[in-house]
Amino acid sequence: MKQTKVFLDESEMPRQWYNIVADLPTPMSPPLHPGTGQPVGPDDLAPVFPMNLIEQEVSTERWIDIPEPVLDKLCLWRPSPLYRAWNFEKLLDAPVKIYYKNEGVSPPGSHKPNTAVAQAYYNKAFGIKRLSTETGAGQWGSALSMACQMFGLECRVFMVKISYEQKPYRRLMMMTWGADCIPSPSNITQAGRKILEEHPDSPGSLGIAISEAIEDAVGDKEARYSLGSVLNHVLLHQTIVGLEAQKQLEKIGDYPDIVMGCAGGGSNFAGLCLPFVRDKIHGKQTSIVAAEPTSCPTMTRGPFAYDFGDTAMTTPLLPMHTLGHGFVPAPIHAGGLRYHGMAPILSHLLKEKIIEARALDQIETFTAGINWARTEGFIPAPETNHVIAAVVQEAQKAKEEGKEKTILFNWSGHGIVDLAAYDAFLSGKLKKYELPEEELQEALKSIEGLPKP
Amino acid sequence: MPEQMEIRCPKLGGQVTVAYCLKEAGALPCSRIIHCWHPYFPVEEYLRNRLTPEDWERCFNQSPKEKISTLIELIEAAKNKPDK
Repeated sequence: MKQTKVFLDESEMPRQWYNIVADLPTPMSPPLHPGTGQPVGPDDLAPVFPMNLIEQEVSTERWIDIPEPVLDKLCLWRPSPLYRAWNFEKLLDAPVKIYYKNEGVSPPGSHKPNTAVAQAYYNKAFGIKRLSTETGAGQWGSALSMACQMFGLECRVFMVKISYEQKPYRRLMMMTWGADCIPSPSNITQAGRKILEEHPDSPGSLGIAISEAIEDAVGDKEARYSLGSVLNHVLLHQTIVGLEAQKQLEKIGDYPDIVMGCAGGGSNFAGLCLPFVRDKIHGKQTSIVAAEPTSCPTMTRGPFAYDFGDTAMTTPLLPMHTLGHGFVPAPIHAGGLRYHGMAPILSHLLKEKIIEARALDQIETFTAGINWARTEGFIPAPETNHVIAAVVQEAQKAKEEGKEKTILFNWSGHGIVDLAAYDAFLSGKLKKYELPEEELQEALKSIEGLPKP
Repeated sequence: MPEQMEIRCPKLGGQVTVAYCLKEAGALPCSRIIHCWHPYFPVEEYLRNRLTPEDWERCFNQSPKEKISTLIELIEAAKNKPDK
């Protein structure tokens, strides 16, 4: 029988997180205070984060010990298994070996608790009684709810109202773990009340929910705020994924040519990839690829130009197309399209060309996810489908080039509570089509009755 | 057609219709609306006919802020609220 899974014993779990900041070939620019223009200092962040986490945020130490109480909780599902995707390989019929870290084995079903547990621990150790956060569809909110319960902290989650109404299962997970899950905008913060006064039927947004969570934390000396992506300490906590993968691959005598993850805020991508980035900085020949969501430029008409928007390439490709006769719209700054920003560490690595980013459209990603589920069994989270689609691209490329490749990626979570997204895809609501010219005006008319900006 | 279609919102991680995207930012559409919807209908043309140049600028042409900067701004705003 072929070996499908590689396990680590709990005694083999990494005892330290890896901090890439210590190994960056060029230093990162410090974030600046928007009011003073000076580098952000610990005191600026103290109203929302405990000082022990702020120290990690600014640390340049290469290795940071994982506290024993954190390891005790992580052991509930860690070390996560490294899988060989034999069946998916067979489907692709390409000269590739595909390994993946299954982060869907955690209680909430994603990689998110790797940092949620650590953040809850450090807040508890600092004397904090309650954490406040925001969540969109609830993946982060559910992870933090569980982590807070583990360390005896209260947890308040501002969940974007449209998701609160659409996603009862994530909300119920949070409530089961004892959290107070509140639809945002709410009437318990000034930010929420202001929105509700102006737009009583507001479906909410992530921006409003963040404002509420911050206000909630700043207004209570015993409370702090918690964020599940982007920040340095979040990425740090996630590196346990890549460190485990390195040990697992070493056990079977393999090493990846390509390391991949899906990247929104960047935490699951960074968690797997940063230890391999270290190897790359020290001479390993490895491609490290982040898969990002985008619409599909090939489906749109007209000549396209592409603009990265800024030199740091923190923004996705923005297609600008011409409309009408000689009418060229003013270029849209791609930055305006970046919804919450990739992690600064990843932006820096992109700028330095140590990692690369690739955009995939949702039709391609769901197609890949369905193929994955039908071969490997596990139903991926929709975000995870992005990296699976990128893996498919790499396999096709290897086939075309006739080169053998070993691919490692982060299977960041399962999609069992995201089946509505699969329903939308399978029922054709995510249809890929191109409007015929004569239907363009009809299409415009079809949204006339909708709320206007 | 667009009003019946759903796409997956990369911000929320859930399905949304264009109606949500048109008012995601209150009086303004989501800054990603063109990026997300342009494969499906001429959303840019639609918005150019309805947004003032100022709103267009505010919505689409502002540089993104670093997350830390956004957090600092929200912290300062929360500290200045009278009944904290």
